[in-house]
Amino acid sequence: MKRIYQLAILSILPLAFLSCAKDWLERTPKNIILEEQVWNDPKQILGLLANFYDRLPTDMGLNDPDHTSIDANQERQAQWRRMADYDDAMWSGFSNEEGRNNIVNYPFDRWRVWNYSLVRDINLALENIEKYGVSLSGEQKAQFSAELRFLRAYNYFELVKRMGGVPLITTQLIYDYSGDPSYMQAPRAKEAEVYDFIADEVDAIKDDLGNTGSNTRANKYTALALKSRAMLYAGSLAKYNNEMGGPITTPGGEVGIPASRADEYFEKSLAASAEIITSGGYALYQNNPDLGENFYEAVVRKTGNDEVIFAWDFLSSKDKRHGFAYDNIPRSIREDNLSSSNITPSLNLVERYEYLDGSNGELKTRTADNSDFIYYDQVTDIFANKDARLYGTVIYPGASFKGLTVEMQAGVMVWNAASNSYQTVEGADLGSTWGGESYPHGDGKLLTATGGPHRSIMEVSNTGFYLRKYVDSGPGTSTRGIRSDVWWVWFRLGEVYLNAAEAAFELNRDADAAQYLSTLRERAGFGANSVTASTITVERIRNERRVELAFEDHRVWDLKRWRIAHDVWNGSSSNPDAVVYALYPYRVVRPGDAARDGKYVFVKMAAPRFRAPRFFQMGNYYSSIDQGVINNNPKIVRNPFH
Amino acid sequence: MKTINYIYSLLSIVVIMAMGCEKDNFDAPTSMLTGRVVHQGQPLGLRSGGVQLELWQHGYDLFSKIPIHVDQDGSFSARLFDGNYKLVLLRGNGPWADNTDSLDVNLKGTASVDVPVDPYFIITNQSFQRNGNEITGTVTIQQVNTSRSLERVAIYLGQTLIVDQNNSAARAEVVSGAIADFNQPIELTVSIPASLADKGYLFARIGVKATGVAEYLYSQPQQITL
Repeated sequence: MKRIYQLAILSILPLAFLSCAKDWLERTPKNIILEEQVWNDPKQILGLLANFYDRLPTDMGLNDPDHTSIDANQERQAQWRRMADYDDAMWSGFSNEEGRNNIVNYPFDRWRVWNYSLVRDINLALENIEKYGVSLSGEQKAQFSAELRFLRAYNYFELVKRMGGVPLITTQLIYDYSGDPSYMQAPRAKEAEVYDFIADEVDAIKDDLGNTGSNTRANKYTALALKSRAMLYAGSLAKYNNEMGGPITTPGGEVGIPASRADEYFEKSLAASAEIITSGGYALYQNNPDLGENFYEAVVRKTGNDEVIFAWDFLSSKDKRHGFAYDNIPRSIREDNLSSSNITPSLNLVERYEYLDGSNGELKTRTADNSDFIYYDQVTDIFANKDARLYGTVIYPGASFKGLTVEMQAGVMVWNAASNSYQTVEGADLGSTWGGESYPHGDGKLLTATGGPHRSIMEVSNTGFYLRKYVDSGPGTSTRGIRSDVWWVWFRLGEVYLNAAEAAFELNRDADAAQYLSTLRERAGFGANSVTASTITVERIRNERRVELAFEDHRVWDLKRWRIAHDVWNGSSSNPDAVVYALYPYRVVRPGDAARDGKYVFVKMAAPRFRAPRFFQMGNYYSSIDQGVINNNPKIVRNPFH
Repeated sequence: MKTINYIYSLLSIVVIMAMGCEKDNFDAPTSMLTGRVVHQGQPLGLRSGGVQLELWQHGYDLFSKIPIHVDQDGSFSARLFDGNYKLVLLRGNGPWADNTDSLDVNLKGTASVDVPVDPYFIITNQSFQRNGNEITGTVTIQQVNTSRSLERVAIYLGQTLIVDQNNSAARAEVVSGAIADFNQPIELTVSIPASLADKGYLFARIGVKATGVAEYLYSQPQQITL
């Protein structure tokens, strides 16, 4: 009996194993996505693309990742705080970052990017979409591949402008475990070869890109905008590097483009720019009759904006937001209880905006013979008749933002008849009055405004200006609860006009260049043909780039490719270009003198919190390559000067 | 009883604290490398903190350079571990011709090395005169390496001993186009700025720059009593 029992159990047992058929272990995992699934699903490919778009490097941007370190992959990400590191602005925020006003010299690894992690991911995607993507239509495949190649070309442009020629890797490298990795060690390509690669890639993919009308995914005109900018860089490098006393080159051409190629690059840039301008798909933003507000909206407004070609978008409803408005709103109108006022534009930049009659933009604070101040009825009067882009970029004393007036007054100037001079009184606190116990002789009116400027208080302007560009004007956007979703503009038509003007000028087509510049300047309030073939100069084009594209991550790269960065920022405290200047407004107290009492005067000074003049060394033209990279690949040659 | 417990626990904490920081600390390096950047045995005047030499040591897992900054009088020093090092000139960094040969440095205790370089220009003779509100410097320069041409000669005034392109209260220059023959003494005149005029003394220095090199080569700073 017992035996039968055992036999019965024994015979059932195998049944239990056999019964569940073959596919028991052949199940789709719930936590792993397989290659076949990704590369046959357009939505998942799009998700991957979004990740790649998000990883494109930039020096500025609107993000705020850990800004003290480079990540292990040397994918240095966007860092808006760097807007305070050049000559267009300085740091007026929390004193932890006071170092931005005291950059004794730019480190040689400052602009280093070596993000082959992204290049590899893109190469892998390009190969896998061909290998696994069986159910995608040919058209979809071509479009995704083109988009990936655009991203790779864009990334190589970011690499070449920082590092010079870099290894051009276009396939994934797989180690064969033979003990000899030398076949994977690619030497650096010539600088010119990388620029040629970018141009060739754009030409090859531009008609496959699709995405017509999109300004957050690449389309044909995005690719052309990349070509317009990259070729302009290559052309000016070829020209201006060789005009230096000692051109910066390496024997293998990893750095240094022959001067003979300059015209060819300028031609390519101009052709790409002209194609975008004449395409009809884009137009300079002109929706607001208030020209200053119009220029502000041209960069930040997302709807009805035909000017922006390619942007890095943010969206509050999807919780993709940033704190740029929280950190940079003017102190007096901030909605949160902390931060504000970090990036404050410099007087240097403000004075680069011309007067609408075309005269030099230097602000008039003293009489012609320098014997007395010029007295202004309103604090804003000194900025009257300036280029409208000044209003659109900078919040100057008395300008409005979010419908509120940003009052600024540093103190009062009290006339001392006995000594025949003014005595300057500045408040210890913001929003203080000249009166009460501290100032028994005061008149009880405003001493120092809530918006400053103030010489030493943190998180209030130290320069007398606040930033407007990229600061969100929506309600509550400067609070940490709501935050901002203003986008970061990679390319816009305004830049394409400037690229076209510069390339045409370098090719001696002055009339064309003047036409491009005039069109752009008309939007800023200048009359028609404000620049003509006889008045156009290279300085004018360069100045136009500075004022139009301020805070859009152009200034440092422009100075580099023109090879003038080491002259403009030469580290000398007697060089006005290397020092950040401020403009402080004061109210005049001079009873009995109706022509002066109660009026406003302005004092120009080196910004009080600014310490070390900007110092750009020859070794900064190309960033140093990490020693670890050279140790792993001895074929990599070092950049000049380091 | 309670106090004894207290004392014991305190004592044990003290013992733990005293023992804790032993094994995990390395001794700091104690050996001293000193040296000068010289031409024909004479140290060269440079910009303070401007010029860098690099020191490499083979044979260890971590292979990266030890930067050595050269003082304005051409001297340098570094505190290191004993060992064999290679001292290299950084390409394009100083006012001298590139030389890729490295210099072997065998460091045991202390070592002193003179790093010979091949400068483009040197300053052989300088003198300063004060005329009222102006300082006139007279200088003789000599070309050593002829691969680069003269770009400019400049005079600097400063309040402290550290005077150079980046640290100066006043500066004047003569560009090479304005110099007829640089084998003859060159005169440079600079007016004394108001910030220095009432100090009673100042320091003056002259620098010479070759085209295509960022750094100037300077004379030794000289104190001038006003």
